[in-house]
Amino acid sequence: MKADATLRIAKWEVTKNAGQLDRRTLAAIGVVLVLIAGLTPLVASEGIALDDGIYRVGVADDSPYHDPVANDSTFVAVDPDVEAFQRGEVDVLILSDRAPVGARTPKGRAALSELGSTIRAYNDEVMALEPNRTAAFPVNVSLRYASQNVSVAPSGSGAAGSPPETRTPDDGEVALGDGGGGDGGGGDGSGGPGSGDGGGDTASGSPGAAGVPSVGSGSSLFADDNVGGTPADITPPFPFESLVLAFAFVLPMNFVIQAYASSVLNERVNSRGELLLVSPVSRGDIIAGKTLPYLLGMVAIATLTALGIAGLTPAGGDAPAEIASTVAVSVAAVAPIALLFLACAFVGAMFARSFKELTFVTVALSVLLTSYAFIPAIFTDVHPIAAISPLTLVVRTLGGGGVPLVDYAFSTLPLFLAAGTLFALGAGVYREEDMFTQRSVPLKFLDALDGQLSGPRSVAKLSALSIPFVFVAELLVVALLFALPVSVSIPALLVAIAAIEEVAKSVGIYAGFAHDRFDRSLRSALWLGFLSGLGFFLAEKAVAVAQLVGLPELALGRAAFGTVTGLGVEASPLVLVGLLFAPLALHAVTAATTALGASRSRNAYLGSLAVATLVHAAYNLTVVSALG
Amino acid sequence: MIEVENLRKEYGGFTAVEGSSFSVPEGEVFGVVGPNGAGKTTTLKMLAGLVEPTSGSARVAGYDAQDPEMRAHLGFLPEESPLYEDMTALSYLEFFADLYDVPGEVADERIHDTLDRLDLDHRERRIGDMSKGMTRKVAIARSLVNDPDVLVYDEPASGLDPLTTNYIIEFTRDLAESGKTVLFSAHNLFHVESICDRVAVMNDGRIVARGSVEDIREEHGRTEYRVYTSVEVEGSVRENGRYRRTVESMDAVEETRDLATRAGGEIEDIQTHEPSLEDIFLDIAEESPDVEGRP
Repeated sequence: MKADATLRIAKWEVTKNAGQLDRRTLAAIGVVLVLIAGLTPLVASEGIALDDGIYRVGVADDSPYHDPVANDSTFVAVDPDVEAFQRGEVDVLILSDRAPVGARTPKGRAALSELGSTIRAYNDEVMALEPNRTAAFPVNVSLRYASQNVSVAPSGSGAAGSPPETRTPDDGEVALGDGGGGDGGGGDGSGGPGSGDGGGDTASGSPGAAGVPSVGSGSSLFADDNVGGTPADITPPFPFESLVLAFAFVLPMNFVIQAYASSVLNERVNSRGELLLVSPVSRGDIIAGKTLPYLLGMVAIATLTALGIAGLTPAGGDAPAEIASTVAVSVAAVAPIALLFLACAFVGAMFARSFKELTFVTVALSVLLTSYAFIPAIFTDVHPIAAISPLTLVVRTLGGGGVPLVDYAFSTLPLFLAAGTLFALGAGVYREEDMFTQRSVPLKFLDALDGQLSGPRSVAKLSALSIPFVFVAELLVVALLFALPVSVSIPALLVAIAAIEEVAKSVGIYAGFAHDRFDRSLRSALWLGFLSGLGFFLAEKAVAVAQLVGLPELALGRAAFGTVTGLGVEASPLVLVGLLFAPLALHAVTAATTALGASRSRNAYLGSLAVATLVHAAYNLTVVSALG
Repeated sequence: MIEVENLRKEYGGFTAVEGSSFSVPEGEVFGVVGPNGAGKTTTLKMLAGLVEPTSGSARVAGYDAQDPEMRAHLGFLPEESPLYEDMTALSYLEFFADLYDVPGEVADERIHDTLDRLDLDHRERRIGDMSKGMTRKVAIARSLVNDPDVLVYDEPASGLDPLTTNYIIEFTRDLAESGKTVLFSAHNLFHVESICDRVAVMNDGRIVARGSVEDIREEHGRTEYRVYTSVEVEGSVRENGRYRRTVESMDAVEETRDLATRAGGEIEDIQTHEPSLEDIFLDIAEESPDVEGRP
């Protein structure tokens, strides 16, 4: 590839497409981007106060209700005028020494209900300021957030008939209530001060630790720590920040890839791109040149978003160097997601026959990739599954935690490799003979695979190249299934993973047979199957990155990757060596089975694929059982 | 300048081009004619390096057609040239000049000179707002931005009005006269006949006739003699009050004279008819089975 040619095409891509947008549209896009980058962190930190001042409460200045009403922006405190209340100008009336009365309207009832909540919260705050905490909070509750797969021994705490547990909270526990030395009937008050440190601590901890989310009563990326300490502060581990981040970083990508995919497909409509192909630049130059502006655009948006979050919230730190570091890590983590989005869009645009079909393909891919990045990141510092998503790195770095290189490699390497493979696949059909033909997406996919084949040995190469894609697909399956009970998720996972790997090993062979590239004899099929299994085995061993960050410590991780790594098996060296090479036999046998089917017909291929999947799943089940 | 040897292209089980061989020396205009699906476009695309031959070789300007270096010496005009509608003619041509590494000043001069010769005025207009003839002229100008030695034009005047067609054909002739080697395909055999030094007639993926128009006419064409008699003779048809008998040799003319004399009449007129390339092409196409019957 020539850098100058790539840059020329990149510049042309920008000017060509700029011509499609008038100034108003460009201005509107700019405003939207600024709003997304600027308002997202503000909204996250300040919240959207759509209900400011919607209820009018008549309350005297000297009333004990006055302060709670005045401190809640939902209410406007006015003089307690009975006539105004009767005229409907006041929603809630509080006369001296009497309980609040709501107007007999839906709004009045809603105002009264809201006032009740406000008063409860106000009382909690007042009680929290009480020097005698035990008097204020006679009941002490310890919360322990447990990893899904960790057995938690039942404690006596809170159990009927058992004495309250009196101990110091461990890591990963939140002590609600200080119990600071009182003599109440609850705990002994040895707990640490207040709540909320769980998330902050674990944010920088190991990803495998089952910690407390940095939300709820805990520390926040967007707000300073607040002091809770009442049962009302018990909140589910809902990581609001992760959702906001996923929204802020991933959402704009969906728009960019639409533009990119349209541009690529535009080259294919009416053979428009033929003249570029006949010019003295390589197809690599063309693809890189067309992709570069969109990648840079995505990186720029991610940078703006990260700058907005880091600069406008306490998350990024105070010093410019700290902010710069936070932004750099965030962008480095988001870049592979952007690249994979583009790679998927590129392949989709190379396979689609029309803009209508392209829309379907890109939306499907967007949903899939967003799920992959989004779902695990929700569980940042809650569950080890979060480690697979680069967005988790963003959440951590914005939370003040460090991002070890190993963690970065684990979550981004599969995406980089998968993106590279997809670009290579699409580039294989970026030529006159394939680009302008109107074939269905599956046939185009087979054309693309066939484009990577040259002889029997290339089958091994193709299987090896499928590994990053397989890895990403398997992680996605893990991410989708991990919330289910283990008894359901593991069998489903074993079959899903077997199917993914068998498809990866065999689809290239099928493409070769479909294009009459290979001899359809029994010997040829068996040889191709062996080569495919070998290539897959070698690459799988080489890229068993899962070992690096302890994902196998998760039961699903063991199920997904333990069969590859042999991790966790306590057995003699001979058995371990057997386990090390057993996958080779498995891959070779199942790939040979599917190759035989592929050499016959499509239906025979599908049948053999089902058989190979079952054999593979049975093998996985055996190994997982051995792993315990 | 162009050397083609046993060129063959298969798509799956279908053979688009089979064993084509021809050469085009420098400065010659070479035409490729044939019915739809004859393999003309595939042949031209193989010469442009767009399509990889299944076997055989194609060399252009001294380079293998698949060599990216070759493209710098080639000006290719596809049959359909949908351009980038949102660009102006000038920015479009400047981009391609840049891609071909043509220095800015040279490119400017060349582009404006070419557009002057093509009589294209609205250079700052969006291509999407141009007429079909104007966009074709822009496409031709694009094929010349790198001042190529070899021009490969696929149906350069296809679908254009007669005036623009003649203009483009004349322009192509001028290019050849300026020393460029031109290979082009066309449906309109009149154009081929009028400007080509040599032609190849393709049918069903094969070259079925090749040479100068005169050579082909001599080999495949038959001079017809239309003999008009005052009386009806065997094999004649009535035409404008007299009888016409079409024959292909002077002996047959003599035979017609005898027949007319025996019938009490005489020969009133004899007209010689030289077959056009179109007549020859139709003859050749009829001789080749399944001309249009391929998938």
